[in-house]
Amino acid sequence: MSSLLECKNLSKSFGPVRALDKINLSIGRGRIVGLLGPNASGKSTFIKICNDLLTPTEGEIFINGHKPGIETKKIVSYLPDKNYLNDWMKVSDIIDFFSDFYQDFNKDKAYDMLSRLGITANQRLKTMSKGTKEKVQLILVMSREAQLYLLDEPIGGVDPAARDYILDTIIRNYNENATIIISTHLIADIEKILDDVIFIREGQIVLSKTVDDIREETGKSVDSLFREVFKC
Amino acid sequence: MLAKLMKYEIKATARIFLPMYAVLLVFAIINRLLNPFHTFETQGTFNLQVLLGALSTVLYFILIIAVFVIALVISIQRFYKNLLGDEGYLMFTLPVKPWQHIISKLLTAVMWYILNGVLVIISGFILISIPEIDFSMIIDTVKTMAMNMNFAAILILILVQLAAGTLMIYDAIALGHLFQKHRLLASFGMYCALYMAQQLLLSILILSFSFSWFQFIIRSTDPTPTQLNKFLIFIIIPGIIMGIVHFIVTNYIMNRKLNLE
Amino acid sequence: MPWDLKSDRPIYAQLIEQLELRICSGVYPLGSKMPSVRDLAQEASVNPNTMQKALSKLEEDGLIYTNRTSGRFVTEDIDVIHKARNKLAQEQVQEFLKKMIDLGFKYNEILSVINEMLKELKK
Repeated sequence: MSSLLECKNLSKSFGPVRALDKINLSIGRGRIVGLLGPNASGKSTFIKICNDLLTPTEGEIFINGHKPGIETKKIVSYLPDKNYLNDWMKVSDIIDFFSDFYQDFNKDKAYDMLSRLGITANQRLKTMSKGTKEKVQLILVMSREAQLYLLDEPIGGVDPAARDYILDTIIRNYNENATIIISTHLIADIEKILDDVIFIREGQIVLSKTVDDIREETGKSVDSLFREVFKC
Repeated sequence: MLAKLMKYEIKATARIFLPMYAVLLVFAIINRLLNPFHTFETQGTFNLQVLLGALSTVLYFILIIAVFVIALVISIQRFYKNLLGDEGYLMFTLPVKPWQHIISKLLTAVMWYILNGVLVIISGFILISIPEIDFSMIIDTVKTMAMNMNFAAILILILVQLAAGTLMIYDAIALGHLFQKHRLLASFGMYCALYMAQQLLLSILILSFSFSWFQFIIRSTDPTPTQLNKFLIFIIIPGIIMGIVHFIVTNYIMNRKLNLE
Repeated sequence: MPWDLKSDRPIYAQLIEQLELRICSGVYPLGSKMPSVRDLAQEASVNPNTMQKALSKLEEDGLIYTNRTSGRFVTEDIDVIHKARNKLAQEQVQEFLKKMIDLGFKYNEILSVINEMLKELKK
């Protein structure tokens, strides 16, 4: 299959609320894609469906030719927008955990990135600040040699220096066979590293273009365009 | 994968159980040393030493109860927190099928219940290994018990009840998860509903068969070992069926109705 | 030298300019080995894809060449660099002239302004 991620008329309703409405998408390999939209636009819902954490109401989604399930979980690396690790675990515990369950997990890479932040194997997650925990989670996700990385709001609520570190880590781990989808509403910081952007509003895709095309055609940054398109 | 899940499940729960077992054994040893029964017999009167001995015995029994209560609480908490709380984001994105999550937690929970029992028996032996009681006599009693066919049936019944009971709790939690708000309350309510439904079904079942198979219930006579065995097996089968039903419902909800916060 | 990337122009075009600037000003000296795509992308905080495209264009233009085994190098042909430098200079001057004309300056006024400023610089 040429495209890594493919959606056909994907919809998801929660009772009367239509979170996603007939989404049609095709995302290839080696792209860094920004999924941009305001809060409650459907970004998180979409990402959860990709991870088989939600079942679609209608339509289909294929990742590397498979529906979300065990086969896709092996090749998808997900960073959720919350603290999802058990606090009592030590860094070495959680690394062993990931190594155990994910064949594509690169232990050495993880330890290398952690040591650069001054984090040792014996530290307990409980003793870390919120910001450090988030960095640990990012490192775990990026240490997998996955085909699709789904990062849900990776830079929200972090200080600018941490933000730079995160973007740096993303660039450094880039591999042309893998695709990274970053969902965020903080666009200015992240624009430069994106290939493509998808604007999503109220569960529908409003725009899907490359960053440079937007800048060329409109003479504006993606951030400015976003503000225009999503003006309240 | 199942083995790996169980490994982590045991690791996560052992941190609570192992210290608890250590405390239990220490208490048994303390009680053994204080030796209240012996003391009371020799002293004959009620004094401080006897009081201390009695107190520690009471505490020992409370500890045994606590151990089982904690095992129950932990089995609930592991399922609720690890699968349907924030950790669910980690667990459900592992390349593992939901049924493996359910079974790994079930097996671990039952394992701890069994270990609880074993530890209680061991601590019991520590406690009562006083010269008055003949050790070999106890061994013989246990041997005759094991020979009794009812013994095996009772053992299986206990196992099935532990598993089915745990699965019913999981089912209640899963059903509670279907609600958007007040999930904990909903799970509790679901459990009550499931329990009552189960008791009702079981009562109807037993009653309807009492007339033909289990006359001894109606006539209030003592059952023969064969009759008792038949009865026990009769109870085991619905237990297994209920367990399977709860498992299927829980599995379905986790596969298709998952909705983490 | 910091990477000066504006937010309202295509990144690709800006990267080409910035790379040319670095080569012409000697940040990447004649005949030297260029940093890897990844390192450059990290420095500039841009997408490696886009950096790759920019480098390919530079290769097309002859400013850099790729050695199959050892990587990317700045050309050793000083004429190519001079040409590129002149081109950059012309672009800058053109922009400057346009602005001056917009401000209403006449030809010889522009020249005198330039002379004044050059004298200041010499001090």
